[in-house]
Amino acid sequence: MEVLFTSTANFHHLLGNLVKKNLLYAPRKKGDFLFYERIETASPKDLILHTNRPVQPLKSFFFPPYQKVGQYFESASPEDTETPKRVILGVKSCDLESLKTLDSVYAGTQFSSSPDPQYTRARDSSLLISSDCLEPDEYCFCTLLGSNPHPEEGFDLNLSPVDGGFVIEVGSEKGKTIVSQDQNLFISADENVLAQREKTRADSLAKVKELNQEVEVKSPYRDMIRETYASAVWKDHSENCVDCGGCNETCPTCRCFLLQDGREKERFERIRLWDACLLTGFARVAGGANPRPKLSDRFSNRLFCKFYFFPENVNLDACTGCGRCISVCIGKIDMRKVFKDLEKERSKGPAEKIK
Amino acid sequence: MTEYDPVKTNVSEVITETSNIKTFVLRPERPLDFEAGQFIQLTVPGVGEGPFTPSSSPYEKEKLEVTIMEVGRVTSALHNLKQGSMVGLRGPFGKEYPLDRFRGREILIVGGGVGMAPLRSLFLSLAHTIEDYKKLVFCCGSRTPKDIVYKDAVLDKWQTQFKDKVSFRITVDEGDGTWKGQVGLVTTTLDNLDKEISNFKESIAVVCGPPIMMKFTTLKLLDIGYGHQNIYLSMEKNMSCGLGRCGHCQMGKYLVCRDGPVFTYEEVKNIPNMWD
Ligand SMILES: Cc1cc2nc3c(=O)[nH]c(=O)nc-3n(C[C@H](O)[C@H](O)[C@H](O)COP(=O)(O)OP(=O)(O)OC[C@H]3O[C@@H](n4cnc5c(N)ncnc54)[C@H](O)[C@@H]3O)c2cc1C
Ligand code: SF4
Ligand code: SF4
Ligand code: FES
Repeated sequence: MEVLFTSTANFHHLLGNLVKKNLLYAPRKKGDFLFYERIETASPKDLILHTNRPVQPLKSFFFPPYQKVGQYFESASPEDTETPKRVILGVKSCDLESLKTLDSVYAGTQFSSSPDPQYTRARDSSLLISSDCLEPDEYCFCTLLGSNPHPEEGFDLNLSPVDGGFVIEVGSEKGKTIVSQDQNLFISADENVLAQREKTRADSLAKVKELNQEVEVKSPYRDMIRETYASAVWKDHSENCVDCGGCNETCPTCRCFLLQDGREKERFERIRLWDACLLTGFARVAGGANPRPKLSDRFSNRLFCKFYFFPENVNLDACTGCGRCISVCIGKIDMRKVFKDLEKERSKGPAEKIK
Repeated sequence: MTEYDPVKTNVSEVITETSNIKTFVLRPERPLDFEAGQFIQLTVPGVGEGPFTPSSSPYEKEKLEVTIMEVGRVTSALHNLKQGSMVGLRGPFGKEYPLDRFRGREILIVGGGVGMAPLRSLFLSLAHTIEDYKKLVFCCGSRTPKDIVYKDAVLDKWQTQFKDKVSFRITVDEGDGTWKGQVGLVTTTLDNLDKEISNFKESIAVVCGPPIMMKFTTLKLLDIGYGHQNIYLSMEKNMSCGLGRCGHCQMGKYLVCRDGPVFTYEEVKNIPNMWD
């Protein structure tokens, strides 16, 4: 689609127009961390567009941690309430990638016979303005999973910083409409700014690659994980796990939830809460039987879900390399090192493989 | 109304089966069509839901029955319900028994405890067009004579009604003063099975019961020559949504609520900890 240029002043003008009709969210610094925050003023001076991803996973906008999904034995349901129009600014490549997994579960028909109404409404009423990453950190590994630190698809508009403004790429019909409503704010991007964008992108890509030099493995994770169920690597790496489920909660592709019922006077409510497969009770059934009683089983199952279950079902890795699970882990568990060790174990040959 | 909201349902009768198992006759406001083997989510208002398999015949349209063992939070709330109580129903979910594959064959049904629930529904389905099947053998194991679920049916009514086409093998782990029948674990009902079934390779076995019972029954069936793809097992996994979204019922590459709850042994034999 179209690739345009907008000056910094014109971009802020665009935001000014968008904020009139939408709730605007953008990454903001809180202490040392970045969070998506609601922005009310038209030209925010402290916009942080080109660092790496914020702490919250993007899923929170479409699949919030706590959501009323039913109100039963009554006619009015939560679906009757209005969904606010939102603009989410500064979304990173990895988080756009995560929406493929979430969409497969909540908007597709491969898992469920019908799309989830609340999720699809929240998706439809959001505009995603993504931006290139220029400052990957030591947790980022999108490149190991086949993507780049700059968005290539899944956005409505994408921003790349260049001298005097941004290269703005249109990625969807929704994005096209926004641009056509304020045509005077854009000109077509010339060779000069496009060359600058390529240079900046290449530098950033090189940074992510360099950060991952030592942990890189030769085959895709999804090919490596098969047949490793009995490997001692799972046990070794899960030794520092404290069973908190933090990796699940911060993960933009972890999609599990639990339904819980409540009562408010004469009204019955059903709430959907994020759940975590690392927790002991996740798969436990009545009577106490548990298919994954051991921590190491739950730890490996999480990665089997991402690199075996999802590829088998929808031909997607349910991991984007965003690194949130690594940065959040108080046991300093790093899946890149898990795969590195699985590779080492494999290179020892089948004879030494643990049966 | 969303897919997470249950349909208002009246409990029209509560039947005590054993000391910890009751059958509930349910009449939903909107009828709910199911096939034997599928499951429903049953809500106790304000308390929560649990997955259960209807135990009645799918041919009965205006009501359905569930047979429930009291084991925890939701099931004890259910056991406290009286005739006339209001509950909620969602579903049906999952896949039914593939009766097309069963036609023309000798069918072995092996049930234990509350695992008899889906088997009753299956049996009533099969019995509805009994001429489609070559032969039925119904094996049932219970702890003591007092623990036999659907006692009147399995010990008496069905035996008389279907005596030409179905044979029954009923056993208890421990007898009592009045018990005249067989004593032994449910696997002992599979001894001398060649008296009833002529071709093990072609025969279909449907097994439902506690995991340990399904495990040892399957091992014995394999031993006597049943095909891996002809043994049907019910997988009891933790479930929340029933809709293929919440991830709770994930088992290997399957979602039990979408791909099950009934699987062939062939489909699940390589899944780690499949019996747990
Ligand atoms: C497909 C299928 C069919 C079944 N059919 C039958 C049947 O026909 N008859 C029958 O008797 N049983 C059947 N079961 C088993 C039945 O679903 C369980 O026995 C029942 O759900 C137990 O519920 P409980 O709350 O009483 O047990 P509990 O042991 O209290 O809880 C059971 C599960 O719920 C979780 N849990 C506990 N508290 C909460 C809470 N506050 N919020 C959320 N989760 C919680 C537990 O971790 C546990 O995983 C079937 C199971 C499946 C999967
Ligand atoms: S993983 Fe890649 S895309 Fe995501 S924040 Fe890090 S560098 Fe950016
Ligand atoms: S598993 Fe870790 S790296 Fe992969 S998407 Fe989830 S949080 Fe990001
Ligand atoms: S019960 Fe939710 S995915 Fe199967």
